[in-house]
Amino acid sequence: MNHVSSNRDGPHAGLSVLVVEDETLVAINLESILEDLGHTVIGPVMRLDELETMVDGGVEADLAILDINLAGAEVFPQAERLSGAGMPIVFTTGYGAKGLTGNWSEFPVIQKPYTADDIAEYLSRLKASEPVSVGS
Amino acid sequence: MLTSGTATDTLDFQAVFDALPSPHMLLDRELCYVALNAAYEAVTMRRRDELLGRNLFEMFPNEGEGGRRLRQSLELVLETGDTDTLAYIPYDIPRPAELGGGMDKRYWTAVHTPIFGSDGQVSHIMQNTVDVTEMVNIRQAASLPFRSGETQLLERAREAEQQHRALLAESTDFRRLFQLAPGFIAVFSGEDHLCTFANDACLRLLGDRNLVGRTVLEVVPESGEQGFVALMDKVYRTGEPFHGEEMRFVLQPLNGGEPKEMFLDFSYDAIRDHDGAITGVFVQGMDRTQAVKTQKRQQLLLAELNHRVKNTLAAVQSIVSQTLRSAKGQDQARMDIEARLAALSKAHNVLSLQEWTSADLREVIRQELSVHDRGRVSISGPSLGLTPKASIAVAMLIHELATNAVKYGSLSTEEGRIDLEWSRTKNGQLTLKWRETGGPTVREPDRKGFGTRLIEGIVRGELRGVYEPDYAADGFSCTVVLDENELTDDNE
Repeated sequence: MNHVSSNRDGPHAGLSVLVVEDETLVAINLESILEDLGHTVIGPVMRLDELETMVDGGVEADLAILDINLAGAEVFPQAERLSGAGMPIVFTTGYGAKGLTGNWSEFPVIQKPYTADDIAEYLSRLKASEPVSVGS
Repeated sequence: MLTSGTATDTLDFQAVFDALPSPHMLLDRELCYVALNAAYEAVTMRRRDELLGRNLFEMFPNEGEGGRRLRQSLELVLETGDTDTLAYIPYDIPRPAELGGGMDKRYWTAVHTPIFGSDGQVSHIMQNTVDVTEMVNIRQAASLPFRSGETQLLERAREAEQQHRALLAESTDFRRLFQLAPGFIAVFSGEDHLCTFANDACLRLLGDRNLVGRTVLEVVPESGEQGFVALMDKVYRTGEPFHGEEMRFVLQPLNGGEPKEMFLDFSYDAIRDHDGAITGVFVQGMDRTQAVKTQKRQQLLLAELNHRVKNTLAAVQSIVSQTLRSAKGQDQARMDIEARLAALSKAHNVLSLQEWTSADLREVIRQELSVHDRGRVSISGPSLGLTPKASIAVAMLIHELATNAVKYGSLSTEEGRIDLEWSRTKNGQLTLKWRETGGPTVREPDRKGFGTRLIEGIVRGELRGVYEPDYAADGFSCTVVLDENELTDDNE
């Protein structure tokens, strides 16, 4: 379940992007931004247990855009599993870079509210990478 | 064990005591006579059968300076277990009737020696007193150049006694000030930090653990684990003072309760003797726990506020950009954006009524439908508390349903109406039924607009509820089922 094959045409277009965001309005907007840039959205995943199930089931994506705080809980345990399998991760948050501590402080953060340009810039900096498979 | 033949076997201590040439007597803790010798009988003009078992101050009442000082001296011995000397004390005693009655003006010196019981406590006080009245009278009678050696000695004793009392009074005053000071103060002596003084604030801070007479490590072991004793060691060793601000200290209550976190401003200063050698550490400070906790709470609130503002701006940004891309024409886009922002704002109003802990579902619905003709919209259902997240989500949901009704559904005609009912099911879920009637003939749209995506996202994604739309020809209706988790209990 939840296996989505990624498009391997190139690094800057046709990526499959795992989107985790618990606010519908924000999630719809990010979905539109990514689709406008020519990428495929997996999700949006709006709850942590749903994300957990997807990681368990083996989710395939070129990168993940993760909202740090989902209904009061933090996404880090799942982020660790995704990152551990080599999936590039970028966090989004309303808390700013201070939302990241410890090992996570090296990870990129996109502050809310963000624009289509912010997302595009991050994606263009991301080097071409092979799709990774997480979990089973 | 004593063996036969030693002097103690045969010696009668009672007789020895009685034969002492200097007046002696023994008081119990209630200051009643237990024993007295012949010399004491003579000097006080009282027989022992008159005095034994009676209270000293009952027999020799004295409301003046002499009485006060005598009592003070005796109490000091009981309290401290140390010998106390009164070098010079005026103390008048009543003259028995057979000797003419009235008061006899007397001056005394007295030594009060503690006698300890088997439990280590002071059980008795032995007083050795000397009547020095004659010497005083000589001095008073003598003119200065002819002062005898005895009166000079007495004069010096009197001066020394006065000086000693004055110093003691001064140090007692300071002690009392320190004792009651609002900040905590403690004095530690020696390299093992034996406490010789700790004031009331110090006791309160440590949950009534008494430090005095024990080392800091004995009484507050956690101060060692948390590095505070090492700091004291350093001050004791180097003499350099230490000042800490808002230092965290965790006290483990003795009764095994929850550890108590506190934040302290304090300083350690070396205490030196006259030669400059370090003899101890002086500790003083303030408990700043409340101030620090308030400050932390404010920082948290500020971070939370910032987070909410940023998230709300992200939601507004989404409303604007999504509405612009789907609306037909600029005027329509402007109206849609304004209406959606107003919907968001109303939900915030309802939430802030309950300080962002919960919002009443009925109130959220009423607010969102208030712009529409009341005669054509009916709502019915109980008051129920919604979580903040569900409140915003339900507000947006109702707004989008109503907007669709105005644009395409029952509110787009003159006669159509909306009936909204909700209730709690037996298993705690919330069921909302939205039903439009009297509108134009309905057909399912072939493309999902922003409004529909929003409704589906909110109910199915965000709230993980059920959304069942029914595009029946005679009117749109839908059922929304939300999980119990989205409800709070304070509006039941």
